[in-house]
Formats: sequence, C-alpha cells, structure tokens
Amino acid sequence: MARWGMVFDLHRCIGCNACVIGCKQENSLPDGVLFTRTLSEEYGVYPTVNRVYIPTLCNHCEDAPCEKVCPSGATYTRDDGIVMVDSDKCIGCGSCAVACPYDQRNELKADLFKNGLFGEGELTPFEEQGYIRFTPGMVTKCDFCSGRVDEGLDPACVVTCPTDARIFGDLDDPDSKPSKLIREKGGRAPLPEKNTKPKVYYVNWTT
Amino acid sequence: MGALIAFVFDGLRAMCRGPRLYWWWLGLLLFLIALGAWSYLTQLQEGLVVTGMSDQVSWGLYIANFAFLVGIAAAAVLLVIPAYIFHREDVKDVVLVGEGMAVAAVVMAITFVVIDLGRPERLWHMIPYLGEFNWPMSLLAWDVIVLSGYLLLNLAIPFYVLFHRYRGREPHFGLYFTMVVIAMFWAISIHTVTAFLFSANASRPFWHTALLGPRFIASAFASGPALIIIILQIVRAVTSYPVKQTVIDLLALIMAVALQINLFFVGVELFTDFYNEGAHAASIHYLFLGLGESHSLRPWIWTALGMNIIAVIILSVHPLRKQIRLLNLACVLAFIGIWIEKGMGLVIPGFVPTPLGEVFEYQPTLIEITVSIAIWAFGALVFTLLAKAVIAIEMGHLRHSSGTAVPGEMIS
Repeated sequence: MARWGMVFDLHRCIGCNACVIGCKQENSLPDGVLFTRTLSEEYGVYPTVNRVYIPTLCNHCEDAPCEKVCPSGATYTRDDGIVMVDSDKCIGCGSCAVACPYDQRNELKADLFKNGLFGEGELTPFEEQGYIRFTPGMVTKCDFCSGRVDEGLDPACVVTCPTDARIFGDLDDPDSKPSKLIREKGGRAPLPEKNTKPKVYYVNWTT
Repeated sequence: MGALIAFVFDGLRAMCRGPRLYWWWLGLLLFLIALGAWSYLTQLQEGLVVTGMSDQVSWGLYIANFAFLVGIAAAAVLLVIPAYIFHREDVKDVVLVGEGMAVAAVVMAITFVVIDLGRPERLWHMIPYLGEFNWPMSLLAWDVIVLSGYLLLNLAIPFYVLFHRYRGREPHFGLYFTMVVIAMFWAISIHTVTAFLFSANASRPFWHTALLGPRFIASAFASGPALIIIILQIVRAVTSYPVKQTVIDLLALIMAVALQINLFFVGVELFTDFYNEGAHAASIHYLFLGLGESHSLRPWIWTALGMNIIAVIILSVHPLRKQIRLLNLACVLAFIGIWIEKGMGLVIPGFVPTPLGEVFEYQPTLIEITVSIAIWAFGALVFTLLAKAVIAIEMGHLRHSSGTAVPGEMIS
C-alpha cells in the first residue's frame, strides 16, 4: 500500500496561484472556500531582500489532531494515508478547525450552496454537479484529490503547477520523486514541533 | 407507583400556580425565547454564515457562553459539600435550589453546544453503536458523557430527596450519600474536561497551558456563588422560603477566596507571557493590547479585570462584604467580569492570530446575540419552574395524602 505525500520545492514556486484555481475547479469549491493557498513571506534585510511563496494544503498528518478530536468519527485516515472527511457523518462542531495547527479546515456554510459562486440565488449546472459531494454545514478539507489518486492520476494542483513546484508520490517508495527530494535536499515538515507527522514536506526553504 | 405519579403531577401543578408577578416573569422569558427561536430558524436555514464565525475564528459567543455555564453548573457543588458532607442545616435548606441552578446551567451549556453545530440533526452520529462515538480520543465525546451524567445526577438526587420528603419519609442515607459523593467528583470533572477541550489544542498556544484547568475551577467557584447569592436573595424576597444569612456569608467567603486565586492566576499568565514575550504570546498581546489595528477585545478585557479587582476588594474586606448592598455589587461585578474573561476573553484570542499568522477579528452578529439571550432565558425558565416545585415541597405545601398514614411503610 502506498503512503501518499507531497513535496513543495520553494525555489520553484513563483506564487502564480494556478494550483489554487486548479484545486477550486477540480473540487468545485464554493465561494470563499480554498483547499490550498499560497502564502508569501519576505526575508532578509535591505538591500538583500527576497520573497518566498509558501504553498499550503492539508498535510495529511500521520498523527492528525483533527482525527483525534472528531467526536463522530467523520474524520478518518485511509490505508494509503489520505486523511478524509465523511460528509455524511460530520456534525459540524468545528473541533477539527480548532485543532488543526495548519488552519486547513473549511466550514461549508449552508448559504454557500444556495447562492452559488455568482451570488444570484441559483446554481449553475456545474455547481449543481460539483456540490453533490458536500453537505451544507460540514467542515471539510483537501483530500489529495483522492478520486484522481485512485485512478492513478496526480492531484489537480500538482498537474496545474507550471513550474513543477509540487511533487506528489509514494513516500514509502524510496525511489519515488518526493522520497528522493526529501532525502537529498533535506525535506522539512511544516511546524515539526507540533508533532503531527505531516506527509507534506518543503525543500529549499531559505527564509 | 401511584405516589410517584401523584408526586410528578403535584410538582407540575405547583409550577402552574403563582402570583401575577410569576406569570409576568414567565411571559417575559417565553417572549425572549420566541425571539431567539426565530433567529435560530434563520441560522438553520442559512447556516452558520449568519453568525460572525469564520474558518479562522470557528468558535464564538456560543462556545464562550458554554465554557462559562459549565462553570456555573459545577459551582453547585459548593452547596452540596457543606450540606451533605458537613451536615450544615442552613445549607441543607437551600441545597436543592443550588442543584436546580446546576440543572438549568447544564441544560443551557448543552443547548449552546448544539446550536453551535453546523449539522445539529446529525448528533445521532455520536450515539454509540448507532453512529461512531469517538471516545476516549475526542474531548468533545468526553464532554457529552460528563455533561449528561452531571445532568442526570443533579436531577436524580433532588428527585429522590424530594420524593421522600413528599411522602413524609427520611431519604435513605447510604443511597443519596453515594450519589452525592459521585456528584462532587463529577462536578470537578465537568469543568476539567471543558478546560481540556481547549487546552488539548496544541496548535492554540493561548489555551495550551496547564493552568487552564485550575483557572476554570477558580473562576467557576467565584462566578457560581455570585449567581447563587443573588438567586437566594430573590427567593427570599419573593417567597417565604427560609434562606439563612449564614448561607450567604459562607458563599461570599468562598467567592472571595476563589476570586483571589483567579486573579492570581491571571497575573501568573500575564507575567509568564509578557516577561519574555515570544511568538506564543501573540494571542494574549491581542487580548490585552491589540495587534496593530485589531483590538476589539481590549476594552472588554480591561473592563473585566477592573470589575474583578473591585469585586475582590469588596469581598476581601470583612466590613465591606458584610454590607448586603456592597456584596450584591461585588456579585454582579464578578459575574459579568468572569463572563467576559472566560467567555469571549478566552475563546476568541485562541484564534487570533491564526496558526498561519493572519489576523481575523470576530464580532458576534445580532442573530448570535438574540439566540444567546434566548438560551439564558430558557435556563432561567427551567430554573424558575424547578425552584417553584422544590420550594412548594420543601415548605410542606405539597404532601402525599397517604404519606405518613401507613406505619408499616416507614421501615422500607
């Protein structure tokens, strides 16, 4: 069984936000809901100042705090390590949003599904299809495009990235691209002190 | 069995009888509840978007009230211990009123959690076997157990004691004493678990402190007696029920000590966070000083601190505390002060700044405020009805007609 993970090469990310839009299209996310975002940070002192773009998404932690706190068992981990949310079991208490150290949880409020992306009180056929997998009121997040992964495809954000800054693969396979990058370039997990064992790593972190 | 049915009906009948003022009071509460119910209907239709909560600040006024009310519920133990363990007769007179308050507070706390849910109708997913109850891992699952257990205990003990009094018998000591001992530990557990609900979040440094549990208990034992003192005086004013001054003196003393400890804890937190201000102090900085342009909680927390300090001065100086007007002032100040401090002042800064360092402020909407008022009104209604029945039975107005008639029954 694979153990899916992702590596961000920060030297490659140009902050174009194509991944954000690719994700939004693939997952048909309602207004204001983003499963992946790109943060930007400045570092250095004048005159040697630089800007780094830091893409973020759910880290699919091995020790996921969101799974621990979920009172109804809606959050669970698949055998391949993808942390999922069961849209039929979520009671919408928000405990996961509070527990996530990475701010990666999204509350899908009911009115989002009523007004749609255009705020006109009706949904486009595209939205009608896309919103089927969600239920209003639930709290959800990125699932590494588990449907695509099951078909042997890369997640949408990875395919969209024009600079190959997002590298997806099996972390248990020592020859996979992400495993090699982590090994050779010293992959750094986000907020390692939180001890959540993320399956997302950053390389070339120079801030 | 017949006596049980008669007991329940007589209790209900006592709730339906009262002077004009009683009906006006019930009418006011029902009006407030209706307003809140209307607002909640909007929230059910539109979702939590009608509240001020967001992805970044995912708990707000509702959970703030919840944390505060669990403390109020736990504080009933301050009457239970002297009444049942130390056999103080004066406290025994009013202990059932305190337990009625605990019932009302737990009911309010549970309601506040339920209305905070995005999908309340899916609560059945938390019923073991039917759904998946994530116990013992999820702290919310723990909270469900301890709160419903505390509610049952606080219904069972008074019910048992009152039923016996109603039939003119003495309650069986061994039985209710066991329940009381369980209830004592349970009271501490409900508030500890509620504190753990917050402090278990390693990603929120503002809550992630070992002091949170003790602070919750200390503030509960200050705000709870404050409410009980006010309630007992109201009971004394509107009924002929005997409320001895010694009970109020005892509660005022407990409150003084608890509030002193609570303020000490606040000081400890302030010192630890501000002496060497690290990144983890950002939330407390936001609370007390504000972060840049964002400082909506600043006036609230300083008001709360001021109120608590005035209250603690009144309570700590014996001649001041003995004056009933000043004592009442201290109770009101401490009650509101702690409501701010451990309500919004505790919940909101946990989210500001977010773990990613962004600052999103929270402002409750009118809907949240009306719903919250309605739940407080609902709690007041529950308490009023319970207290009405309790007082009627305790005063001896209600007695089972065959209560003492059969001597043979006395032995059982």
